[in-house]
Amino acid sequence: MRIQFTLNGRPTTVDAPADIPLLHLLRDYLELTGTKCGCEIGECGACSVLLDGEVVNSCLVPAPQVEGRDVVTIEGIRGPDGGPSDLQEAFIEAGAVQCGFCTPGMILAATALLAKHPQPSRPQIIEALSGNLCRCTGYQQIVDAIELTVRRRAGKEVQA
Amino acid sequence: MSTQHYEFVRARTCAEALALLNEAGRVSRPLAGGTDLMVQRHKGQVVWERLVDVSQIPELRVIREEGDAIIIGAGVTHSEAAQHPLIRQHLPALAEACHSVGSPQIRNRGTIGGNVANAAACADTLPALICLGATARFITPAGEQELPVGRLVTGVNRTALPAGALIRDFRIPKPPAGARQAFIKIGRRQAQSISRLSLAALGRLDAAGKVAEVRLTPGACTSRTQRFDQAEAILLGQAPSEELVRQAGQAAAAQMVAIAGRRWSTAYKEPALAAIVERALRRIFDLPGEK
Amino acid sequence: MSTFKVLGKPARRVDAVEKVLGTARYTVDLKMPGMLVAKILRSPVPHAEIVKLDVTPALKVPGVAAAITSEDYVDHSNWGFPVKDDYMLAYQRVRYVGDPIAAVAAETEEAAEAGLKAIVLELKELPAVFDTQAALRPDAPLLHPELSQAESEPAGDSEFIEVKAKGNLSDHLIVRQGDPLAALAGCDVVIDERYSVSHQEHAYLETEAALAVPTPDGGVTVYIGDQSPFITQGNLVTTLGLPAEKVRVVQTRYIGGAFGGKSDMIYECAGQAAKLALVTGRPVKLTTSREESMIASYKRDAMVSHFRIGADRDGTIRACKVEAWADSGAYASMTPFTSWRAAIHAMGPYRYNACAVDVYGVYTNNGYSGAFRGFGNPEVTAGSEQAIDELAEKCGMDPLEFRLKNCIKLGDTLPYGQKLEESVGLEACLRRVRELSDWDRKRAEYARQPAGRERRRGIGVACFFHGCSLGAEGVDDATHIIRLGPANRFQIISGLTDYGQGSRTVFALIAAEASGLPLERFEWSAGDTDVSKDCGPTVASRSTLLGGNATRLAAERLRQQIVNAAALLLRCDAGAVQQDGETFSAGGRSVALDEIINFAREMNVPLSASARWQMPKIHWSFTEGRGVPYVAYHFGAQVAEVEVDTRTGKTRVLHIWAVHDIGRVVFPEGAKGQVIGGIAQGLGYGLLERVEFQNGYNTNPNFDTYLIPTAADMPAVTVEFVENPLSFGPYGAKNVAEPSLVPTAPAIANAIYHATGRRVRHMPANLERVLLGRDLVDSVVTYQDGVCERARCDVGGAADT
Repeated sequence: MRIQFTLNGRPTTVDAPADIPLLHLLRDYLELTGTKCGCEIGECGACSVLLDGEVVNSCLVPAPQVEGRDVVTIEGIRGPDGGPSDLQEAFIEAGAVQCGFCTPGMILAATALLAKHPQPSRPQIIEALSGNLCRCTGYQQIVDAIELTVRRRAGKEVQA
Repeated sequence: MSTQHYEFVRARTCAEALALLNEAGRVSRPLAGGTDLMVQRHKGQVVWERLVDVSQIPELRVIREEGDAIIIGAGVTHSEAAQHPLIRQHLPALAEACHSVGSPQIRNRGTIGGNVANAAACADTLPALICLGATARFITPAGEQELPVGRLVTGVNRTALPAGALIRDFRIPKPPAGARQAFIKIGRRQAQSISRLSLAALGRLDAAGKVAEVRLTPGACTSRTQRFDQAEAILLGQAPSEELVRQAGQAAAAQMVAIAGRRWSTAYKEPALAAIVERALRRIFDLPGEK
Repeated sequence: MSTFKVLGKPARRVDAVEKVLGTARYTVDLKMPGMLVAKILRSPVPHAEIVKLDVTPALKVPGVAAAITSEDYVDHSNWGFPVKDDYMLAYQRVRYVGDPIAAVAAETEEAAEAGLKAIVLELKELPAVFDTQAALRPDAPLLHPELSQAESEPAGDSEFIEVKAKGNLSDHLIVRQGDPLAALAGCDVVIDERYSVSHQEHAYLETEAALAVPTPDGGVTVYIGDQSPFITQGNLVTTLGLPAEKVRVVQTRYIGGAFGGKSDMIYECAGQAAKLALVTGRPVKLTTSREESMIASYKRDAMVSHFRIGADRDGTIRACKVEAWADSGAYASMTPFTSWRAAIHAMGPYRYNACAVDVYGVYTNNGYSGAFRGFGNPEVTAGSEQAIDELAEKCGMDPLEFRLKNCIKLGDTLPYGQKLEESVGLEACLRRVRELSDWDRKRAEYARQPAGRERRRGIGVACFFHGCSLGAEGVDDATHIIRLGPANRFQIISGLTDYGQGSRTVFALIAAEASGLPLERFEWSAGDTDVSKDCGPTVASRSTLLGGNATRLAAERLRQQIVNAAALLLRCDAGAVQQDGETFSAGGRSVALDEIINFAREMNVPLSASARWQMPKIHWSFTEGRGVPYVAYHFGAQVAEVEVDTRTGKTRVLHIWAVHDIGRVVFPEGAKGQVIGGIAQGLGYGLLERVEFQNGYNTNPNFDTYLIPTAADMPAVTVEFVENPLSFGPYGAKNVAEPSLVPTAPAIANAIYHATGRRVRHMPANLERVLLGRDLVDSVVTYQDGVCERARCDVGGAADT
């Protein structure tokens, strides 16, 4: 079946079976391997993408449901110069990245949060990440990275 | 990893959906958020030949006031319900129940209609919907029908929904003035938890300070989610007190055992249910904080 | 600390950019033209004889290119170290649910699954055992009747050994000091209690995968995210019957976590994919679903322990007798080694007059156990640090004060006879964590909570030690090469793995420190058996110590080469050259590094150095239970503050303070991340995590039912480091990766006791154990065809009125 949607800001058309999840569509039909597969039952968040700005588990979205809609994957999160965005930079600086497998999902979840709540509290950040499992970091530095981004965007801290 | 195949068709209207769901010679299921169906797919439990996508049908997405009731479309997501001003104001127990589902990712996709139709034993919205007296309105080839949610969901993964029917929305009467609500969920961890036990409660005092109305609907402890009338009876007409809510908690635990029998999990659920009944009632009736 | 140029200062992880951009490719992301998909047929039952196995019907399925069994390997694919009891594909028998039996390669996943279904498999179920005590009974069914147990029976000391090494006993490790039974009899205060811990799942976010590519010379290259490329290579050489020159193992540049879990089953994945690649002549990729990974992969051993510890009335610890039984599961894997480390650490970091420890590794038909962060220490410390707490209470002493009174200090001798001459920071850790957590005030305040309060707060402590690196078990060395790469950067070639713990960054920092060059001049590499030197496995938190030292030496040699080249350019003696970062000068003239490099290239002056570093040799007597097991130890203490809802059994951890003596901080964000990450795993271990084996079936094989901490479950964590430099560590560094996990669970359990007066001796301290004092077993589990059906909510199925 043919599926037409906006992917990372670009109109995209792909031919794929109707009965696969979006995760499979992205990784195997569109060669975008940044979105990871961790459990296939919507419990780990490694497959998180934005669907019309909302963070969702792409392992549970039937691929044809993205027809006409807007999907953003980690490959679409970039700074204005095409390099890491301020959020991605903050992840590196704050020690939020260890093995990196949960990182794309975390960044998508954080991006969705900050789009809705530019000045979230720490508990709000934690709640926004509560659907993304990490086994390496213990989460603290990931939350720190998001707080750092919030402060910088508010002009309270200069980027190193 | 599932390799069971099926078709996918999008319905733009209720009428279209109904036609597709009832097309002869093909087993079809409605698809909204997919958070239950896609897990079943992963586990190799595909029992459908076609999924009918109803997620874009406008009537299924409504949240509005209709006289003295709130209408919530079956396709409203848990996120939408948890954040909507009408639901937060009039039906806070439902807003909290929806907020407790899964994770942000799941809440952004899972729908109330899906939660009800799937009828999991630990479904979070069921206690709130039943406590609030929600009626499910569904469409069938024979016309529109409705059933109280407490009668629609008959057991674990079992509903009285006729084959080929589609839940369109839920009609929930606005609770009477002065009624207070509570929703409590016990999970094994702080987020993304299957409900170990839950409770939706509503209560109202009369002018003399006696319990005029009380509704207690525990979740994840009986195969059919229901009001625990025996516990409620203890409270009706009484002035709330520490001793009274304790008795109500005990009665709820006893009624649970009477309904579900003594099971391997009962030794935990008995005292825990009593505790959350007490706490919900304290909150609703403004008793001094728990010890 | 400020005397260092880069060490201990904020630094960027060297491989983080690709991870945040999503361009980092893990094994599961790799593709090759013509690639086939591999799938494994696994045992649906816990113990059975293979009566019939015929894979030829699979070959008739459209799309299937190959189907293999143990017969396709040398010696039926027998492998395993230190006990060679396992098979890449089962031979004659299966011993746990998930044991691999056959492998299929096909064009698509669907075809591969159809191929598996077509395989003719007849199993005759055998009686099975699922707990260590049942497995040790004389009439217990034997898992490995063919293995002789005679070698594992220690000579002499027979009066201490009540269980003979035979049957399902896989190993027996001891520590001996004096006569503890006599000493205990003379103690004023004795604790005699049993504790237990459950199987823990590694839950790395990236499941096992391997990509095998046949090479034109009849060999094979395997791309894999493992912890030990040379061990993988060795196992392939053994089972495929190929010479080492024809077997190349290339570590995928990015690995999604390991924690000890990618050094056993993953060798089998390599062997399965490699054989299929050789048979088909095409690349073959094997991936595993989360359920498959959780069911088939090894776990942290479940352990039951019995502690008897005695003290004088004044709180001086005198003696202990410890016995522990480790559930090795179906195969030995690393359990002989985890049992050894458990034995060494079982009595805790205290002074004793007499001590006896016996740790038994026992085969059962549960999923097998092996290496997992902490490697035996978390298992015993979960018991010992609760026992110490109980002993402190019986002596009427504050638990932290009790530990300060008895803890190992510089110059003390450990029970097995090792005198500690340097780098013992335990006392400092305890004192600092006491300060940070406001221990004294909270102990007093929470003890005064009204009896009827439902949500109760408590604060608990646990301390520990953790031997650095492999210990007396084996050869412990590393060889690093630092060589000039194409972009005028220096590549650090290591056989050690970075699977997220940050060793690449640590090596780069050490290289920068030792050479005086900026961090950006160094590049990391992934292990490759064609290029790297065998540095042994990346386990035992040994990377910084072994790899760090090798890096330091190599970088110093590289620096000397650069200086020599500079001297040629500057026309002076090497000794006259001064370095300031990338600039080298003498006699008023200077030359930049890039110039030196270009010159070196032109003139064929070498700018490449290698160095081997080996741990000092030590000796442990396995028969006497005495000696020097580790050259050095990491020390630490953690305090946990909790709030327990005594009406629901729910424990909320409010804060954890962790103070660790790691010798020297090299990479601050990395070290902090290792501690917090370890604490998260320890919190899960203590409160949430348990592989629920029932009759050998893993009944919770995904993240909906195997619960690891989410961001919402983590408390605020305060981390501090004590630096007690180790004379032979790189710049004094010891290690940090594993130890952080060790004390967390008992600290939480001790806090729960302080809050509630309820001792939860069996972990995890789940809702039921905290509320009721006992666990409830889900009796409504059914199995069919290897699939387990669980009634998750236990509400019954009958229609209610």
